[in-house]
Amino acid sequence: MEPEILHTSGGLLFEEVSLEGGEGGRTERPSSSPRGPYEYVLMGVSVLFAIICIGFVVTIILEAVPAFKQQGSYLFTGTTWQQGGGSTPSQYGGLSMIVGTFQVAVVAMVAAVVIGMGTALSIVFFLPLRLRNLVATLVELLAAVPSVVYGIFGYLVLAPWVLTTLGPFLSGLPGGTAIFGSVQTGTSMLLASVVVAVMVLPTFVAIAREVLSAVPHELSEASLSLGATQWQTLSRTVIPTARIGLFGAAALALGRAIGETVAVALVAGQVNQISWKSLEPGTTLASWIANNFGEATGDQVNALFALGVILMAISLATSLFSRWLVARQRRAAAVV
Amino acid sequence: MTDLQTEPREAELHSVRAHLRERSAATRARRQLTSKVMVVLCWIAILCAAVPLLMLLFELIDKGWPYVSSWAFYSQLPQQPSITQPNNVGGASNAILGTVAVVAYAVVMAVPVGVVVGVFLAESDSKAANVIRVITQTMVGAPSILMGLFAFYIIVKQLNLGYSALAGAFALAVLMLPVLATATEIAVRGVPPTYREAGLALGAKPSTTSLRIVLPAAVSGIVTGSILAISRAVGETAPVLLVIGGAYSMNWRPTDPVSMIPVQIYQDASSAYPAQQNQVWGLALLLVAVVFVLSLFARIWAGRKQKERR
Amino acid sequence: MSTEPTLSIAAGLEDQEIEDPRLGPTAMSLKDVAVAFNGRTAVRDVTFDVPANKVTALIGPSGSGKTTLLRSLNRLHDLTKGAKVTGEITLGDVDIYRGGIPTTELRSRIGMVFQRPNPFPTMTIYENVVSGLRFNGVKKKAILDEAAEQSLRAAALWDEVHDRLKAHGSSLSGGQQQRLCIARALAVEPEVLLMDEPTSALDPISTQAIEALMVDLKKRVTIIIVTHNMQQAARTSDLTAFLLMAEDRAGVQIEVNPTLKLFSNPDDQRTLDYIQGRFG
Repeated sequence: MEPEILHTSGGLLFEEVSLEGGEGGRTERPSSSPRGPYEYVLMGVSVLFAIICIGFVVTIILEAVPAFKQQGSYLFTGTTWQQGGGSTPSQYGGLSMIVGTFQVAVVAMVAAVVIGMGTALSIVFFLPLRLRNLVATLVELLAAVPSVVYGIFGYLVLAPWVLTTLGPFLSGLPGGTAIFGSVQTGTSMLLASVVVAVMVLPTFVAIAREVLSAVPHELSEASLSLGATQWQTLSRTVIPTARIGLFGAAALALGRAIGETVAVALVAGQVNQISWKSLEPGTTLASWIANNFGEATGDQVNALFALGVILMAISLATSLFSRWLVARQRRAAAVV
Repeated sequence: MTDLQTEPREAELHSVRAHLRERSAATRARRQLTSKVMVVLCWIAILCAAVPLLMLLFELIDKGWPYVSSWAFYSQLPQQPSITQPNNVGGASNAILGTVAVVAYAVVMAVPVGVVVGVFLAESDSKAANVIRVITQTMVGAPSILMGLFAFYIIVKQLNLGYSALAGAFALAVLMLPVLATATEIAVRGVPPTYREAGLALGAKPSTTSLRIVLPAAVSGIVTGSILAISRAVGETAPVLLVIGGAYSMNWRPTDPVSMIPVQIYQDASSAYPAQQNQVWGLALLLVAVVFVLSLFARIWAGRKQKERR
Repeated sequence: MSTEPTLSIAAGLEDQEIEDPRLGPTAMSLKDVAVAFNGRTAVRDVTFDVPANKVTALIGPSGSGKTTLLRSLNRLHDLTKGAKVTGEITLGDVDIYRGGIPTTELRSRIGMVFQRPNPFPTMTIYENVVSGLRFNGVKKKAILDEAAEQSLRAAALWDEVHDRLKAHGSSLSGGQQQRLCIARALAVEPEVLLMDEPTSALDPISTQAIEALMVDLKKRVTIIIVTHNMQQAARTSDLTAFLLMAEDRAGVQIEVNPTLKLFSNPDDQRTLDYIQGRFG
């Protein structure tokens, strides 16, 4: 079967997962064959590429080192972000950004996965056939929509609505201000989570849909023939069979949510504070960098690079962890 | 073969069957209710998903169409509105051309390298290849703003070329490289091994086999992957935001600052002038249309190649 | 296909007195059954009684609607939009479509084994066998264990797997997997077992094993089997129904007779043609 390249931006995770399984038409090169210019060019360019990638990591760390030296652990624990002048020292505390990043990413991923599963199941099992292909195409196209477009949708359409309608409503509920806070400009962490969730949803659904439809029809038929209800068939047979791909899709969604920059920059409010009250504004690592880099000078630039290092570390850790999880699932399934 | 025990032991058989019938009847209502409820929840989910997404499409078309359908949008340079002339917004010509230029530079930088790396990964079995593959796959998921930081360091700072189109192109190229490499690797691996075997059996060198037989067969997959990488790069804001500088005029040198559509959208969205804010929808619709067309094209291209092969 | 007519298939059997299996109790009866998809009829005019505790075979060339007919017996067509089943199909004395039996109950009384073995990939052997019971709400381990052993014995698989019930279902060979699927279907104690070309994906030895199994199984359940392999039908079944595609491209019942009679002295010329290999 020819592996299809998934038409989602950054949605190549699905294919890379199948690459790890060692599939694909790899033919052995006779080990005694001489290395000619072709092989050298290939290797050379690839090594150059590897150097660029390593340089990518190294340079960001390099530029961040002065800030780490200057701030120490305050970068991780502090909440003031202020460039010093004259005799006052600079303070660059990244705690709000770190917490905010997790806040937005986790909420967005959970929302996207829950709604995305229901959506994917509907598309594959409940939608009439003619609609199915149309919706599947639509979903894949939506997954390619750039994040800045979701950003302006959030900022220009949803934020005013939150400001005028949803915010007062939530605050007006008994105990509302304690849980949700009170709306200030409409831009808030809640809105950021929602916008990121909406943005990540099509990507998740596109992959989930593909994975779920790949489960052989006969399995559902066999389950139903035993007297199972539709839901029993889905939950006990179809979804478990597809769980590796679903994991991968969720991991992809999480990765995208962590790194999301401009949409969050537009709708989170960009206030340096940690806020569990969802109507209040906050910030994340990526959006703070984007917002402040333009005017930053001197040691603030280094501090922003330091935030970049933290972001890189979180993203890398998440990616490796998901990869490990998926690999473990594959091994469990292959233990056959 | 026949086990003596297949003779149903009447008493036990009866008890299993009886128990089953009883349990089945007792739980039936609950099971069917659960099933119905879950199905309803799934429908609710798809509605929840559809509403904001359809709203988004509607707003895009509704607010953006007046711009996309006007010639001035493409031909005029943006203006700076003022209190006395709040509607003096102008067009988006430089952002459009800037996007084309920067993406073009990025493609020139990234595609040759990315494709070569992909071919290497597909053909080589060495430890080095495995390491590079892991590096590539990790880079695919990296937050794109980091590429902006990288480009800043290399182009703006070290090479001192300033905030420029080149810096933006570099950032996009670094973004596109891992994607291109992975797509190319998949495409090359997708070529049935029999082609390569046939070539080698004829006595051709491995390199000749690759260049003359395998790679040409993989071209359609590589093209599809490239189109998708480009469509992703076109829409990226974060990596270029930090390094292109922004301009209100048409700058032609790669080392000059430049304007790009996604960045323009991002900046104008928080403009104090509603007219400028509104123009953002036009830019967004144009961007989405371009990305849609590219994706559709990639799909059709891939589909056609699949059919040909059959 | 041998040009020697029926004799080679029914060789050695024609001296036996041909007993009509329909003289005994009936498990299911079909009357004027037809199945159409989006208005286009796929099979029609099917009328016969399925004798209890016997093997009934549905044979015919491809396109004759035998699988479509089979799948209407456990209401699997309910899943297909645009599918319409007309006529009367009764289990015992209840119409399975209009008699008010809930589909989930019906499907645990009429089980099915599919062409390609399809054990649930994420479940162990044990879990596969008892999955039907679990779906139906049975939780007591004692009952599950009992049912598992019984069905695995009935499917002639117990000896081979009893010490590795925790292994994954897909670790078995093709023939074993199919027997696992049979065990799984048997565990819910169906009255009727539908088998859709159960051995067509298996090697000859596994095929033989399953055919031998069917002889034992029919003491427990009524079996209806679709097969494109006439020799298999002749070897294993008591009653055979022959279907053929008519000019309107719908499958039509041509003849239903005790197997030995159908293969040695069929009523209809078209049946004879088919058996002799003139088409299909």
